[in-house]
This record gives sequence, structure tokens and C-alpha cells, in this order.
Amino acid sequence: MLRILFRRLVQIIPLILGVIIMNFGLIQLAPGSFLDVMTAEQQISDPAMIERMRILYGMDQPAAVQLLKYIWSVVTLDFGYSYRQNAPVLTVIMQHLPATALLMLAAIAVALLVGVVAGVVAAVKVNTIWDNLISLIAVFFFAAPTFWLGIMLTILFSVKLGWLPVGGMRTVGTEFGAIAATFDIARHLLLPAVSLGLFYAATYARVMRASMLEVYKSDFVRTARSKGLPGFQVVVIHVLRNALLPVVTLLGLQLGTVLGGSVVIETVFSWPGIGSLMLDSVMSRNYPVVLGVLVMSSVVVAVANAAVDIAYFKLDPRISAR
Amino acid sequence: MLTFWTFARKFARNRAALLGLLVIVAVVVVAAMAPVWFPRNPLRIVGRPEIWPFVNPRFPLGTDSLGRDIAAMIAHGARTTLMIGIFASLTASLIGITVGSTAAYFGGWVDEVFMRIAELFQTIPNIIFVLTIVSILGQTITNITIAVGIVTWTPIARLTRAEFLSLRDREFVQACRAIGMRDLSIMVRQILPNALPPVIILSSLVVASAILFESAVSFLGLGDPNVASWGGLIGDGRTLIRSSWYICAVPGIAIMATVLALNLVGDGLNDALNPKLNEG
Repeated sequence: MLRILFRRLVQIIPLILGVIIMNFGLIQLAPGSFLDVMTAEQQISDPAMIERMRILYGMDQPAAVQLLKYIWSVVTLDFGYSYRQNAPVLTVIMQHLPATALLMLAAIAVALLVGVVAGVVAAVKVNTIWDNLISLIAVFFFAAPTFWLGIMLTILFSVKLGWLPVGGMRTVGTEFGAIAATFDIARHLLLPAVSLGLFYAATYARVMRASMLEVYKSDFVRTARSKGLPGFQVVVIHVLRNALLPVVTLLGLQLGTVLGGSVVIETVFSWPGIGSLMLDSVMSRNYPVVLGVLVMSSVVVAVANAAVDIAYFKLDPRISAR
Repeated sequence: MLTFWTFARKFARNRAALLGLLVIVAVVVVAAMAPVWFPRNPLRIVGRPEIWPFVNPRFPLGTDSLGRDIAAMIAHGARTTLMIGIFASLTASLIGITVGSTAAYFGGWVDEVFMRIAELFQTIPNIIFVLTIVSILGQTITNITIAVGIVTWTPIARLTRAEFLSLRDREFVQACRAIGMRDLSIMVRQILPNALPPVIILSSLVVASAILFESAVSFLGLGDPNVASWGGLIGDGRTLIRSSWYICAVPGIAIMATVLALNLVGDGLNDALNPKLNEG
């Protein structure tokens, strides 16, 4: 088990190296020099200062040397300094990461819960009105842009009904105890998590339904039935657990999209995570932060992917460790 | 042998797919007729701001916060949306087919390297990547199209690779090798036509996701500021959800209908092509 873990982590290294090189390529492709943009953003006009920055960022050297230096600085977790927040880029990103992680986990939980339940119901009641209804709803949520769904839910639940807050993560200007504060965050979390999660729930429902129907046909399910197990027990213990694997696969494949989707949703609900930071940095051309976010979010996805792979061994003993 | 007509008949039996096709045709017609129906610049101010839909017959879908005609912006936005969707999908297909076919045909370390690259592109969170590209290279339609193509090619590459893998050792390919055909012409002229149908269907689904990407980028205010776009309209209307929520609702419905229709057609094509579902 430890060996697999180690091997999977080693596989991440070339991936991250690739992201860094791509980053470097993007910087090189940028119209004008990267330095121009940075000096313009920080309103530096002193030629001596610019010259110092040129040498500091190694721009007086050939591209290959620059690339090596860039890789080295990223490997040592040095993404540069953000003058906008007056803090190292890594610190800024780490401040925003927990909020995004919370949103992502909540959205995945919504997606899994709604998707799996809907898929199971559709498969158990296959070809009935329930099945058709679930398919129809899934098709709609699969086509709706998440940010639009978020706005529509805000209009309904926050503006018209006034049940939930419009945005943010905490109610401003109030002091809460630990329990009340958790409840407050949960209230703010509900709408963003649902609007992001429903898109994936739609996919999971379809996949779950198909895979349930597939497993239903297997011999061991017939055996379970014929030995007189109640229907519920057959569905949950025999079919559900085996049908879950494709959903886990999909979940692993889609982690990157979930993180991307949370960027958009965060801006809709002014959720103080990576997405809001990213958009703010893009708008203010704060490139060290933009590139830092790109690298760090890729690292998060790569590590999460590895975690899903490892969860696989736990879920399915048939997949033997190679 | 599956001829075009039996294929069309099978497709037509699927009512949802037919409905999807109808919606797509409608969107294409609106996009094509936009310059005729709304000859003037859709981003021009034409009336009082915030007129609700179905109130003033001059503005059937109302006006936005600046007093621009929403119907005109939807019609012209359809052009932007379709164009970016189609060209992004073409870009993605070009990259995906090249990478997938080369990886499968040559195998070995080529396969290993190309699939690693695909994995790399799957790891980078796609929206973040698109935003980075657009923000560094500039907010133009071309850059958005290329950026969306760059983040959506991996599924096409994987599918092409799978198709090529199942075809590359067939007898007809071995025959081509035996008569000394060059690799490139075997790949392009012999294997590719056989591998293409499922890939084309996937490309039609990629158009749908490209449209969603484009709308998200424009919604975030990083779209091309000189063209009307559905996502941009939602982004503009966002500040007015208390008084005029229809500004957000209308373009969102347009996006949803188009994406939904593309998905239905893609599914329909898939079913029609799938020999397992032949008569049923």
C-alpha cells in the first residue's frame, strides 16, 4: 500500500513540471515583456529600479536559464511577491485555499448525494414516470451554466424569499459562538454548493443509473435475490456498492473541472476563495498571483487525483496492486 | 452496411434528438438572420433602460440596464456563441485527432509521452487555464476560441486513440503496410475515415461544452468587449437582480436551450450509430 502511494506521488512530479513549463511558455508568449506589465502595475518608472528587477527576475539571461531558474523558484515554493496584497504570493493563495476547498467538498457532497440517490431511484424504477422525470431534470441541469443557475437560485431564495444570504461567507459585523458561526457559514455555503453540485449530480445520476442497470444483470445479484434477500438489501449491499465505481472514476476525472467551476461560482456569490482571488488578479494584471494560482490549483488536482486512485484500491479489492 | 438513409431514419426515430435538431436549426437561423432583423449595432442604446419583456412591442425581450435591445443582443450573441463553439470544437478536434492517432499508431514511448501530455491538460483546472491564457494574451474572440480548444481536446484524443488502437492491426492496415504505403497516408487515408464517426459525435458534444466555457468567460467580464455575447449579457445584468432579473434569465435560457439541444443531438447520433441498439 505504501509503495503504491509512493509511486503515485512520484507520478505527479512530471505533471507539475509540465505545468511550470507551460506557465513559462505563457509568460514568454505575452505581448510585451512580463516586466513591462509588472512595472506598470506597481507604477515603477525609475530606470535603475527596472534594471534591478530585470536582473532580479533573470531577464537578462537566455530563455533556457530563465526556465531553470523559474522551475527552481517554483519548486522552492517561491511564486514571487504580490504588491496588491502586500504579501508573498504563496501566503495569499494559502489564505484563500481553505474557502475553496470547503466549497469544493460541499459541492462534491451535494453532487454525490443527489446524483447517486437519483440514479438509484431511476434504476430501481426503470422505465416508469420517475425514471423519465429524473432523466429529464438531469438533462436540464446538465445544460444550465452553473453561474446562471447560481444567479437564478439567488433571485429565488435570497431576493424573492429572503431565506438565504446573497453572498459572502460570513455575516458581516456579528460576533458568533463556534456553533452559531458554523451554522452561519453553512447558510452562506448552501446556495453556491448546490448550484455547483447540481451540474455534476446530473452526470452522476446518468452514470449511476446505467451502471446500476448493468450490475443488476450480474449473476451474483440473481443469487442474492433467489436466496430470498429483501429488495432493499439487494439494492444497497449488492448492487449499489458495485455500481459506485464508475462514479468514483468520473469524480476523479472531474476534480479539475470542479475546481474550475468553483472559480466561476465564487465570483457569483463573492465567496472569498481562490476564484475570487484569481479574477481579482486577472483584472488587475497581477500575474505572479495568476500563475501561482494556476500551479497551486494543478497541484491540488493532481494530489486529489492520486487520492481517488488510492480510494479505488479500498473500494474494489478486485483491482490488485500492480 | 450502414447507409446514410438508414442512419437518418434511426436518428429520426428518437424524438428528443429531433427536437434538439429543431432547436439548433432555429438558433442557426436566428444567428444567420441577425444582421437582417437587427441591422444596427446591437450594443447601441435604443430606448429607455430596464423595459420588461412583452411590454413594449418594439423590444419584445425588453432592454437592459443601459437601454440596449435584449432581442438584438440575443440574436447577435447567437452568432458569437455558435462561432466560438464551432471553431473551438474544430481546434479541439484537430489537436485531439492528431495527438490521439499519433499516440495509438506509433505506440511505445510516443504513446506514453502524448498520453502524459493529455493527462497534464486534464489536471490543470480548465477555467483557470482559459482565464490565464485570455488575460495574458488579450481578450479577443480568437484567443478565447483557441483557449477553449486547448482545454477541451483531451476527451477527443482519448477516443481517437481508442479507435485507432482497435484498427491499427486489422488486415486492411497490414495490407497497406505490405504494399509499402507511408505511415502518414495509412493514418489519414485508411484508418482515420473508419475511426471518424464516433469522434465527430464527440466533437458535437464538445461544441456544447465550448459554449458553456465561452459563456463563463464572458460572464466573468473577460470576453471580447466589442461583440454581443450571451454570457456577457448575464454578467451585465447581475447587478440588477433585485429589480430586473429578466436581464439574466433570458440569455441564460438561450444558453441552456442551445447546450441542451446539442447534447440531445449528440446522444441521438450516438444511439443511431451504436449497432447494439439497432432494432429496438
